Amino acid sequence: MTMWKRKLLDRLFSGSAYGAIAVMAFFLVIVIGPIFLKGIGAYLFEGTIDYRRMMLNQFNRGDEQALDVEWAEVKQERKIIYDALFAFEKELDNMSSSRRRELKPAFKQTKEAVAILLGPEPGTPLPALPRRLYGQTRWERAELKAKDVLFEESWDYSGAQGKKVMTPRAPLFKGTALEPLFSKIEKDLESLMRPERTFYPQFLTDKSIDAHFFGGIGPEVMGTIYLALGAMLIAVPLGVIAAIYFQEYAKEGFVFSLLRSCVNTLAGVPSVVFGLFGLAFFINTLRVSPGKSVVAGALTLALLVLPTVIRAAEEAIASVPRTYKEAALSLGAGKWRTILTVILPAALPGILTGIVISMGRAAGETAPIIFTAAVSVGPMVLPSEIFTTSTPALSWNLYNICTEHEAVDEIRHVQYGMALTLVMIVLALNTLAIVLRAKVSRKLKG
Amino acid sequence: MKQTEQFILSEADVRRRKFFTGLGQTFLFAITSVAALAVLAIIFFIARDALPFFSGSRTWAFFTSKEWYPTSATPKFGAAAIFAGSFIVTLTAVLFAVPPGILAAVCLSDLLPFNVRQVVKPVVEILAAIPSVVYGFFALVVLAPFLQDTLGAASGVNALNASIILAIMALPTIVSVSEDALQAAGRELREGSYALGATRAETLLKVVIPSAMSGIFSAVLLGIMRALGETMVVWMASGNAAQIPSPFYNLLQPIRTLTATIAGDMGEADQMTGSAHYHVLFAMGLSLLIFSFLCNLAGEWVVNRQRKRLRGA
Repeated sequence: MTMWKRKLLDRLFSGSAYGAIAVMAFFLVIVIGPIFLKGIGAYLFEGTIDYRRMMLNQFNRGDEQALDVEWAEVKQERKIIYDALFAFEKELDNMSSSRRRELKPAFKQTKEAVAILLGPEPGTPLPALPRRLYGQTRWERAELKAKDVLFEESWDYSGAQGKKVMTPRAPLFKGTALEPLFSKIEKDLESLMRPERTFYPQFLTDKSIDAHFFGGIGPEVMGTIYLALGAMLIAVPLGVIAAIYFQEYAKEGFVFSLLRSCVNTLAGVPSVVFGLFGLAFFINTLRVSPGKSVVAGALTLALLVLPTVIRAAEEAIASVPRTYKEAALSLGAGKWRTILTVILPAALPGILTGIVISMGRAAGETAPIIFTAAVSVGPMVLPSEIFTTSTPALSWNLYNICTEHEAVDEIRHVQYGMALTLVMIVLALNTLAIVLRAKVSRKLKG
Repeated sequence: MKQTEQFILSEADVRRRKFFTGLGQTFLFAITSVAALAVLAIIFFIARDALPFFSGSRTWAFFTSKEWYPTSATPKFGAAAIFAGSFIVTLTAVLFAVPPGILAAVCLSDLLPFNVRQVVKPVVEILAAIPSVVYGFFALVVLAPFLQDTLGAASGVNALNASIILAIMALPTIVSVSEDALQAAGRELREGSYALGATRAETLLKVVIPSAMSGIFSAVLLGIMRALGETMVVWMASGNAAQIPSPFYNLLQPIRTLTATIAGDMGEADQMTGSAHYHVLFAMGLSLLIFSFLCNLAGEWVVNRQRKRLRGA
């Protein structure tokens, strides 16, 4: 092979290796990017007057008097819409039957779209579902829903794939009493909705109202905290004791290698199998709880993270310099005392790193809690109920509200907000771990 | 005077000390056994609830029939298509992930200077730390519409979508385990090769990677296990249709995997603990468990063989 060929191959190889790193960084950006950008929207958005009314009614937040003044103004603006609807309904009665047949369905659709955009018409009975009690609470949703009023959506199947066709409704109603409605919504949507930059940090702690249409993700956050903390409470003592045994007491031999490979095998068990085990053992056999419960979930998650905790603790204990141990022993300390007062404190940052990483894993796992702890809709679980009650959790409910929710498209902001919150919890824990590890390596360097 | 006295132990003291040391050790051993034997408990309880399913003709149909109608009046539990689905996404994901994974490991271990590596490594760790349900959400909300619009797939949730995401999830495992293996190959090997005039590509491809092969092999095995055992992503992104794509390499069709079936059906089955549907899901769990044990064994076997070879050399 000639020299230039070898050099070219070398360049190609190095180039593709750098490329592989770039690809990974790219993946990270495209996965995290949208979640970050859109997830912010759950906390920071343009809230409409209906948002402020909803907050006042449901959560008792906001300035009631200022809102009353604003609401009176908006009602004046919206009156034009309702007047148009009312006048057209009258007009419809006096129309020729063919014209009526032509306009009535379109009018009905328009009226429904208006009710979704602005909330129930004044004077009509209040709907049962809270989501129908108010108009659109978010400005970007309002803009979208305004389009439903202005355009008729239909599908054109003449091509190979269906194509969406938007036909404006206004020409159909030209010359009728309904005409001003369309121009008002098209030109004056802002004064109808009054969008205002809103910061909603309570998204993190509020209960959800009407299956996440309004409110926050408090119960889910709380459930995740319960499960992750509970799992660590069980896994850490077990894991650290096992690590001490493996590192300081166990002698090479059959029992040692058996226990070792058991722990290694545990690390390879698929997470959904942990869920099955939790159901078959903790719930159906031990009956730690009558059905799904926080405790059953925490026990299952504890098993899942146990190998990680053991491995991290072992590594931390093994990296404590031998001289520490020898010094302690030579001063007359017993083995147990050496471990408790010298080795464990020296290994503590390393052990903590492992604990923090495992906690992130426990917080993010979904499959093990599906059959043991998670529930789709539920109130915040009280500490006294952890033995009996199943709990919502960020991971499970993120799955639930983006696949099984009845109006998946309507609550995208909640889904993104939930995903962002979960990612931030996990990333915060991992960052903490990275910082801790940097501290350890600096200390070991001296 | 009092100080020295404390060090001179009476015989009773020594005996007491020995007793407590023994007790302490036994305690440590007991706790460790609980932790370690958990895996045996898992095998036992999964098998216990799986075995009632394996009776007579059902066993044969389970592995060979493609008819999966668990909730019909005469339920049929043919899981062949589901096994095939798991196999297809796992294989594709690993094929996607291995080449860039090994290249990235090479880059981390041999190409990047120390301070750049300190920045890149957290990227790998963060990719590994992102919860699977978040990947699933990404697959469903971002990747699926993209695939539908650009590739003209009938639905964006299909085998390709799940494979891509599984590949992204398996990457960090493959990268970090391979990197350790490459690092362990040692400096002397590289220096010897460079001294003979080999280029970097030649050194790595012909000397370092072959000598790190067992480690890279176990990295790939771990990647396979990660992809095979992953639940949320395949549940959300694969379309969940119990069918074998035709032709089998048509990744744009929806498929269904073992993990997704367990997760999806147990919700419905959990009211009827003890029913055939309940037991068939445990049978699937047992299959997954057995497969991951086989992977573990294969990994350990390769590592041991390598160790023996090195010792022999």
